[in-house]
Amino acid sequence: MNKNVKLSALAAATTLALAACGGSSSSDTTPAPVEPTTFDFDATAMIENLNDGVIVAGYNDLSNKSLALYEATVALVNEPTAQSLVTAQQAWVDARKPWEQGESHIFGPVDQLSIDPHLDSWPLATSDLTRVLSDVSNIDAAFISQMNDNVQGYHTMEYLLFGDGVADNQKAIDELTAQERDYLMATAEIFKGYTGELASAWTQGVADDDGNLGTPYETTFKSANNDIYSSQLAVIEELVNGMIGIVDEVGNGKIADPFGGSLAQADTSLVESQYSWNSLTDFADNIKGVLNVYQGEFEGNADAQGIYDFVAAGDQALADRVLTEIETAITDIEAIAGDNNMPFRMAISDENARVRIQAAVDSLAVLQTSLEADVVALVGKWSGK
Amino acid sequence: MSKKLFLTSLALTLAACGGSNNSTTQTPNPVPSYTNVVNLGGDTTATDTSNSGHGFSTPAPNLTATELEQHLAGDANFEVAFTTAPNEQHPEFDGLGPVFNNADCNSCHQRDGRPSSVVVNRHGGPVKLSSEDAIFLRISIEEEGLNCTEQTPDNNYCAPIAVPTFNDQLFHRGVLTARHDWTENPSVGQADVYISYEYSNFTYPDGAVIELKKPVFDVRNPYDAPSETLASGAPTSRLFQDDVKFGARNGMPVFGLGLLEAISEADIVALADPQDTNNDGISGKANYVFDKIKANANDPYPVSIGRFGWKANTPTVRQQSLCALRGDMGITNPLFPNESIENTPLHDEYLARTGYVDTGIGPDGGPEANQAFSDDVTFYAETLAVPARRNVDDENVIAGAVLFEQVNCTGCHTPSFKTQTAMDIGGKPAIAALTAQTIYPFSDMLLHDMGEGLSDGRRDFLASGNEWKTRPLWGIGLTKTVNPGAGFLHDGRADTLEEAILWHGGEAVNARDEFAKLSKSDRDNLIAFLGSL
Repeated sequence: MNKNVKLSALAAATTLALAACGGSSSSDTTPAPVEPTTFDFDATAMIENLNDGVIVAGYNDLSNKSLALYEATVALVNEPTAQSLVTAQQAWVDARKPWEQGESHIFGPVDQLSIDPHLDSWPLATSDLTRVLSDVSNIDAAFISQMNDNVQGYHTMEYLLFGDGVADNQKAIDELTAQERDYLMATAEIFKGYTGELASAWTQGVADDDGNLGTPYETTFKSANNDIYSSQLAVIEELVNGMIGIVDEVGNGKIADPFGGSLAQADTSLVESQYSWNSLTDFADNIKGVLNVYQGEFEGNADAQGIYDFVAAGDQALADRVLTEIETAITDIEAIAGDNNMPFRMAISDENARVRIQAAVDSLAVLQTSLEADVVALVGKWSGK
Repeated sequence: MSKKLFLTSLALTLAACGGSNNSTTQTPNPVPSYTNVVNLGGDTTATDTSNSGHGFSTPAPNLTATELEQHLAGDANFEVAFTTAPNEQHPEFDGLGPVFNNADCNSCHQRDGRPSSVVVNRHGGPVKLSSEDAIFLRISIEEEGLNCTEQTPDNNYCAPIAVPTFNDQLFHRGVLTARHDWTENPSVGQADVYISYEYSNFTYPDGAVIELKKPVFDVRNPYDAPSETLASGAPTSRLFQDDVKFGARNGMPVFGLGLLEAISEADIVALADPQDTNNDGISGKANYVFDKIKANANDPYPVSIGRFGWKANTPTVRQQSLCALRGDMGITNPLFPNESIENTPLHDEYLARTGYVDTGIGPDGGPEANQAFSDDVTFYAETLAVPARRNVDDENVIAGAVLFEQVNCTGCHTPSFKTQTAMDIGGKPAIAALTAQTIYPFSDMLLHDMGEGLSDGRRDFLASGNEWKTRPLWGIGLTKTVNPGAGFLHDGRADTLEEAILWHGGEAVNARDEFAKLSKSDRDNLIAFLGSL
């Protein structure tokens, strides 16, 4: 979703912390008091690994999956069969995963290039979409590229591929019009351009007025003490706050908003990826993205340095506790579906599933508190800051 | 003020600074009082995020729990991407446009900071502004050389005069069918705007050369004469008549605004010297602007000191925010309940063609954004924390802090104010967290003639084309961390702080020249100081 929900509970925790201390930063010239205990950690290898093994690897994967999605839509246009539709639907799901996991590190080129609204605008301008499908005869990338973000990107393609998601997520090939197929292919073509641009910004740089590529963002990221990251502390703060941001967004936004305060307040219209019924996968992938940054590796990959190692250098017990809390949050999100694989849009209106949703919300809150209160405090004790 | 004063006052300026103009880094004793200050926003300062790209996006840490809740509600509103009406599934988020500049607040204030400047390949043609661009053009009609100095109801208190059939801002984007020719021009607004750059060089006394760029705009395809361009001979579009003035505006950071609102008017006015009576080449005057809240309260003289916007043309965060909501996004709200383009042919034709389904009236019969939405988004902009400084102990930064005063940047970038202990803002008591704070915005909140190089040639209340409000500098060192593509100045033309300094002219030309005379290492130190803010 195009919602960069900010650090809500960070602020809450900070407020509480200040209240608990009974103090405030009353002096304008004195930094906040620092605990005497510090810890050492050489962050260089960790930052390099997180760049290479998680962020850049993730964006390259996104770019590749977007290409596969585009190719699947081309096949769908050329040969509109039940199988080619299923293939395109799966290609959408596959392309969704690296983006959702990457939401744990939304900074840098993704903002610079307006990638988030281009790819993930929500809600859709359904009246505009309907109008184009009914009134425009030659739908192609040139036409779509002139339109607003709210009729492009993941959720537009999702709507066209899966239908409205109310009764099912099994759109039949004969329900997919030629206009919709053209719209899909055009949108996927533009989409792969944006994801390629994002990956390239990290590894190749963004073109300047001379057409020359500027400093690749990964160079900036890996070599702190530059105009963007004044120190490695800035990079670590960026990563930790990125984790906090998505944990907050999933717990307090993506899940909590449609969940509502009671069953009567549940609101299906607010469910992310409601057409494809991919919502729970989205949410779990968001937190798996946090796990990636924390562990410095994707699932099943060899051990590499991540934020876990940084935290462990200062407080091993905290490092292990946060790891468990991340894994619990993922498990609890995946458990919402229950034994009958209920999609999230139905689960919010089901008494039993709501108990499971609440458990996931609670797990995310526990994780968020640990990150905001304990991990952030630990960052302040790092001797390298 | 007169430009002639600048040259003659150079010696006075230097004398007043108490510094020398040689280019060695000699640290006078004592260093300026701001040198070691970390918490630029007093108790509202954010410390845990101030090194990273999250530095502009943190709530003030001294809000109450209830206030934090409202801030977070406003945060969500700030991110809402509005859509075309009707949107049956999301009527609460519809009403975009029908013509607009962007679809959500965040797109022009990315991560609450500056937006990316438009990259134009100088070997290619101009680039058409699209959804990823935040810059837009203000427009008005004005007789050449005619100033407005006496603010009366008859002249709308010197407000810019709207361009008939367009209004006072050029909305270059639209909902899909905003234009009758939408199948050829989907999502186009009142006209297309293209941007390119003119390049020039600045040569330092030591021979170093810096390339500067200045945007040039080409307006094409106006809705009232689609085949015409700005350069057309004998144009018929109202937009292309000789009396129309264009002024580019880029998004700006939105943190710390509540603190600026809480500075007393008397403290700002005390810094003004419109006749330059002290002969320092710097005049400085307050803008006085139409106050919609006062007008709604039937105040007989609805004018207040201007504080926000590039020319300080709005008096309060509420008016600034809700004017942008209605103008930039086309979302009507309680303070501005009518669409910007109401009663223009474009709007009338759009409504008739689309069956009067997007009239600017929301689902409950009120404006598209209700009171709570408007209150919350205003509160959000009032209560974003100011990021703490970094690297204050770095010797280059300290040297730069001294130089910042020595070359008289502080002549306009006034380091510090204390906010009022209690006050009424727009009919409401001020937020307690923002009161009685010693703050370091590095702005005098006044208008200054910045020279022809920066002029947009367009009056805005008491601000002339050359005059701009001194930008606050707090947080400016995090600008590129928040958004690596961000540019500085009102049209984003400066890719670096150095370029921004070199664009300073007019009243700031002495300070600019003193900066230029510094050695490379001293220039770097001064910029390092800015980077620490």
